[in-house]
Amino acid sequence: MNQALTIAGAELRLMLRSRLALVGIATLLLLSAIAAVTSATQMAAAAKMRAEAQAATDAQFKAQPDRHPHRMVHYGTYALRPVGPLAAFDPGVDAFTGTLLFLEGHRQNSATFGAARESSDLVRFGQLTPAFVLQTLAPLLLVFLGFASIARERERGSLRALAAYGAGAWSILGGKALALGVAAVLAMAPAFAALAWAAVQQPGEAGIAALTALSYSGYLLVWVLVITAVSALAASAQGALVTLIAAWAIVVVLVPRAAAAWVGVAEPLPSRVDTEFAIAADLRRIGDSHNPNDPHFAAFKAKLLKRYGVTRVEDLPFNYRGVLAQEGERLTSQLFKDYAARAAAIQNAQTDTLTALGIISPALAVRRASMTGAATDLGTHLAFLAAAEAYRYDMVQKLNGLQASAVASADDAARSKDPIADRRTRISADFWKTIPDFDFSAPSPAERAGAMVMPLAVLGLWVALAIGLFAFARRRLERAGL
Amino acid sequence: MSNLAREFGFMLRSKSALLALALLAICASAAVALGLASVARDRATIDRMLAGQVAEERALAAFVEDAGSGAYYGFQPTWDAPSDLAFAALGSRDIAPALLRVRALALEAQIYENEAANPELSLPGRFDLAFVVIYLAPLVLIALLHDLWSGEREAGRYHALAALPGANRRLWSARVLVRLGGVLAALLLPFAVGALIAGTAPLRALGFAGLIVLVALLWTAIILLVARRGARSAVHAASLAAIWFALTLVAPAGANLAINAAVPVPDGAALARENREYVHAGWDRPKDGTMRDFLKLYPLLAPGAAIPPTFSWKWYFAFQHLGDLHVAEQSAAYRDGIARRAELARTAGWLLPPAGLAQAMTALARTDVAAQLDYQMRIRAYHQRLREFYYDYLFSEKPFGPDDLRRVPRFDPAIGS
Repeated sequence: MNQALTIAGAELRLMLRSRLALVGIATLLLLSAIAAVTSATQMAAAAKMRAEAQAATDAQFKAQPDRHPHRMVHYGTYALRPVGPLAAFDPGVDAFTGTLLFLEGHRQNSATFGAARESSDLVRFGQLTPAFVLQTLAPLLLVFLGFASIARERERGSLRALAAYGAGAWSILGGKALALGVAAVLAMAPAFAALAWAAVQQPGEAGIAALTALSYSGYLLVWVLVITAVSALAASAQGALVTLIAAWAIVVVLVPRAAAAWVGVAEPLPSRVDTEFAIAADLRRIGDSHNPNDPHFAAFKAKLLKRYGVTRVEDLPFNYRGVLAQEGERLTSQLFKDYAARAAAIQNAQTDTLTALGIISPALAVRRASMTGAATDLGTHLAFLAAAEAYRYDMVQKLNGLQASAVASADDAARSKDPIADRRTRISADFWKTIPDFDFSAPSPAERAGAMVMPLAVLGLWVALAIGLFAFARRRLERAGL
Repeated sequence: MSNLAREFGFMLRSKSALLALALLAICASAAVALGLASVARDRATIDRMLAGQVAEERALAAFVEDAGSGAYYGFQPTWDAPSDLAFAALGSRDIAPALLRVRALALEAQIYENEAANPELSLPGRFDLAFVVIYLAPLVLIALLHDLWSGEREAGRYHALAALPGANRRLWSARVLVRLGGVLAALLLPFAVGALIAGTAPLRALGFAGLIVLVALLWTAIILLVARRGARSAVHAASLAAIWFALTLVAPAGANLAINAAVPVPDGAALARENREYVHAGWDRPKDGTMRDFLKLYPLLAPGAAIPPTFSWKWYFAFQHLGDLHVAEQSAAYRDGIARRAELARTAGWLLPPAGLAQAMTALARTDVAAQLDYQMRIRAYHQRLREFYYDYLFSEKPFGPDDLRRVPRFDPAIGS
């Protein structure tokens, strides 16, 4: 142990004397700091903008004048997806989804206005965020710092000298890995500081922040162990470097993209128009409100008339048109829900495949853990869509209910022909104030922690594999006479 | 020639060189195959929409009673078909919709819709030939060429080789040519196959191939400049990887941040709300004012513009369009902001060649931001034709029946760009 510490100390002193290493570490720290600050400002601005937009849209809804309730169904409202609690650390998919959802009767709209579509083509080169620094840049810096650690000693012949002083393979490998680990801790510091800052501001997120820190620590531990082992196994420092850069390019750059492309083609998602057509066809089959002889609506009407013991809808104790609108909305919304669930199932399966492919690339696993923790993943976006749809349905049905109860049937029937009747169908603006505001909160920390278990397990597997490689390198060193 | 043959033989005997080239060729082939599959899926989606439209119109024909209901219920398809080069540079086609159905209501409430897509698949960036060329090919070139001189020096052969007459031409040039040729073959052969399958126009395919060659030449030049310096191979490899990393990963991401900070884009949510407010307030504004404002735009419709005190489609579609007009400036500013960002990014491309060349590839493939904005302009042009078609019926009070649905103008991708 003491020997390992001595070797680690010597390696660290060497790093401090090497211009390349210092420039590398300084660059990473600088990038990290820039990423932390810009990401925090950007996300804070986005959070403020969306909260203000949500407040403005809620206020506008409540400020509408006296109207026919169905006009409010079309006036609708907007739901804005709030920024995730740790989005400043890892914005995840935030830029790649729409953030504004228009909620109205009869229709299910898509989320519009995302940052990626408002940016130049450069946005596809990646976003400079603390998460990007840790996932992508930090491992490459560790490669630069560590590739030569043991290979250099071998090339210079100093490995045997170390052995002559009684250093075993274990102390050499352990010491070199320890030194690189110290560099890794230093590299993580600014990003972790950003994470800690977020946790201080939102104490409820402290547990998630700790789990996120744990996943990145595991990820970089894998790199530290693999880099040291490859440095010990390679024939030359050059060989070690080329191997490690290739491994980095494959794991961090190639696999995440290739996996996403493959998943998208292998498990395709129906387009919006596909879904709209399918829903329209289903509606024509189960209940077409445009068709005066539609069997579903005819039966609905007959049942109502029978229940109230009347023969004409005009004699019902409420406005039939409002109830009819409720029934129509019920049918379409059920289909919206079914098709959205199908689309969500496909997307979740795609994402699960990506998580499973974390077995090929730990970068995928750490990204999944990080996004899930930050509530900036697909799951949170789908939860937002589902919450907005549920809110839309409630709002529309409340308004349809007002049409049934507060608008006189005769006026409603005559309103397109008779301006006076039309005026009487406008109900008090006070009703709009009874509709609750839209509110979405991200999945709870406990739920997110649960979803992080799988990627953390994959990372654990990678740590075990890296330890295996490390042990193999030690055996090789020992067999080579150390 | 014999020099090239000799160097070719050397390369074939180097396991690591072959491995790197094989990996590059596999990636390029996979990227071309996935690109073709992605483009085929886009086309199939458009075809399904056009086929499905027939059933929609049949259903509409069963209940359409007048021009107003035809305009209100009649969604019409628009689409942005992938170009014959899109397979090689997929660009932003995953985040911008390739199809949108519009109707004659206010367009600002329709045009920003997004496609159903899994954002986690868009997040890492596209896997296409452009990616392989911009990201992976330079790394393979670095692996093959970083120790051109230092490797021989470290093997103790450098002075003997350099003393050979014509060493520059016979040895180093031949070696560089053979390795560069290997990389180019690994990229250009899969591209050629893809271009043949996609039926890419020859000139455009040549242009893209030229960009591939340009990327390879640029990196070869950078690598040789560094490799010329007398340091150890490992130092060369590390410096080159750092240069690649800075130019390809860090600088474009930084430039994106800077550009987005420098060019603000108006808030889309505010634009959408403003449009909705104006459209819906239309119900409560005096009808005469609405018609007067509308007729200022369409004076020729004045003779048929009389409206009853009750609901009228003429008035309804008039205030829909006035809602668009009300936010026209904001909408143009929104579009211009994005266009300005794209323009600055192209300028930045001159300083950051990998970003510049990647943008040149998506521009050639018409899959870039400019192509998206262009599609939106074509949607706008079509929406105008669609509106005016219905205005004609509404204001002349011509009867409109199921047969007239066939006369509705169709989207034409060639109009409006």
